[in-house]
Amino acid sequence: MITAQTAPELLKKVVNKLNTVKDYSAIAKVAANIPMIKIAPSQATIYFKQKNKFKVVSKGIVILPKQNFTDMNAFIGNPNAYQAILGDSALVNSVKTVLVTVIPTGETNDIVLAKLWVDPKQAVIMKSQITSKTNGTITSTYTYGSQLSFGLPDKLVFEIDVKKFKLPKSVAADINNKKKSSTKTGSKGTITITMSNYAINKGINDAVFTK
Amino acid sequence: MIWKNSYNELIKILAKPRSYLGVGALTILVAIIIFAMKADGKSIVSFVTSTFEQSLSFNGNVVNGNLITFIILQMLIVHVPLLVALVTGDLVSGEAAMGTIRMLATRPISRSQIIASKFIAGGAYTLFITLWLGCVSWGVCQLVFGSGDLIVLNSDGLVILKAQDVLWRFEAGMCVAFLSLFTVASLSICLSTFAENSIGPIVATMATILLFTIIGTLDVTVFDTIKPYLFTTHMASWRSFFEDPVPFEDIKQSIVVLLIHIVVFITVSLISFNKKDITS
Repeated sequence: MITAQTAPELLKKVVNKLNTVKDYSAIAKVAANIPMIKIAPSQATIYFKQKNKFKVVSKGIVILPKQNFTDMNAFIGNPNAYQAILGDSALVNSVKTVLVTVIPTGETNDIVLAKLWVDPKQAVIMKSQITSKTNGTITSTYTYGSQLSFGLPDKLVFEIDVKKFKLPKSVAADINNKKKSSTKTGSKGTITITMSNYAINKGINDAVFTK
Repeated sequence: MIWKNSYNELIKILAKPRSYLGVGALTILVAIIIFAMKADGKSIVSFVTSTFEQSLSFNGNVVNGNLITFIILQMLIVHVPLLVALVTGDLVSGEAAMGTIRMLATRPISRSQIIASKFIAGGAYTLFITLWLGCVSWGVCQLVFGSGDLIVLNSDGLVILKAQDVLWRFEAGMCVAFLSLFTVASLSICLSTFAENSIGPIVATMATILLFTIIGTLDVTVFDTIKPYLFTTHMASWRSFFEDPVPFEDIKQSIVVLLIHIVVFITVSLISFNKKDITS
């Protein structure tokens, strides 16, 4: 029963599901829509290995959120480092979820607050809102498909609070610039990552992460 | 006749040691910049991306041959007009100073053809300098750093161009850069027709570029009407090829302005040299 689970139990189920993945690699198609940055969609290969080895390999330049996918997983993997409080249910992508508010207990954590909308049936995170000291607030939405049993999403959408980027003055003084510099309205940017070709628990050499 | 004379003028340019100053200086500068970027390129690039790196991470080969080539061109293209003026400013006044202009004027070629051949030779030297800068920068950088996507920081923000979409932009940019440098060459040759020594036209050319650049940079309303007509305002238009989308209309306007300046300088040179009193 959904209501019988406490917040720590729910998070433990999520963590246990994620821990079934010892390593994975996948193709990521990244589309970034961020104020003051123009970049065409690009492709990268993502490698992950327990506990926290993460690597992005691409021919071209790929922009990702500063906080990578595994930071949150590592954070909730240590139940002694936080207090979890159950909140209201909400619909996320037509899925009934339960809000779990996670407050770190330590003073040195970079994450100061995490809100997780968890699907209690599948034990996966459908949406998260992480506030950290260094990266501000990042809201992420997850869509699952072929790898639901491992808790690995097919699509991730990160909404980042970018505020107003300030350009170095030496570059901003463009004598050939006739137009006033215009920032896109709003201070939010989104990065959409579509994952495919997952290879899970096939074994990845540690050398991949040190290159 | 004019082509034979242009060939002779080119030989005269190649015979002067100062012609190799520019080439040598450019080569050494490119080598120094490549060495510096190889040693500490990432921290230099971080200066550009640091404001974005509070929230974002840039993955992939950021410090690559395309980026270093762009940085080199941006740094040096400001200084290349001096190296061009050093040679082209001497084309007419240098002959006057050496006393060979009388002998030149006695040859069976009109004064207009003499000036035209000096412009052709000056243009050829300018083209060589432009190609040398572009090819050496791009070629060596590709060898040392490899290829990759190009990050360009404009006043609007960051533009990241795919590696396969960059070469044509460099080629087109260098064409417009050549036009800018030929405008400078034309100005220096034009001033050279009025002078009897080389230093005057060279210094006058650089002073003109400096003055027009400062006027173009000052954010003062009274200068806004004349800024679009100054050739220095359009000298950096090669950079426009690295915007997305490319502002072709602005680039066309820049090309027209530069061409008009070239035509004016050539016309003034023709009139001046034809009326010049060559008796000593």
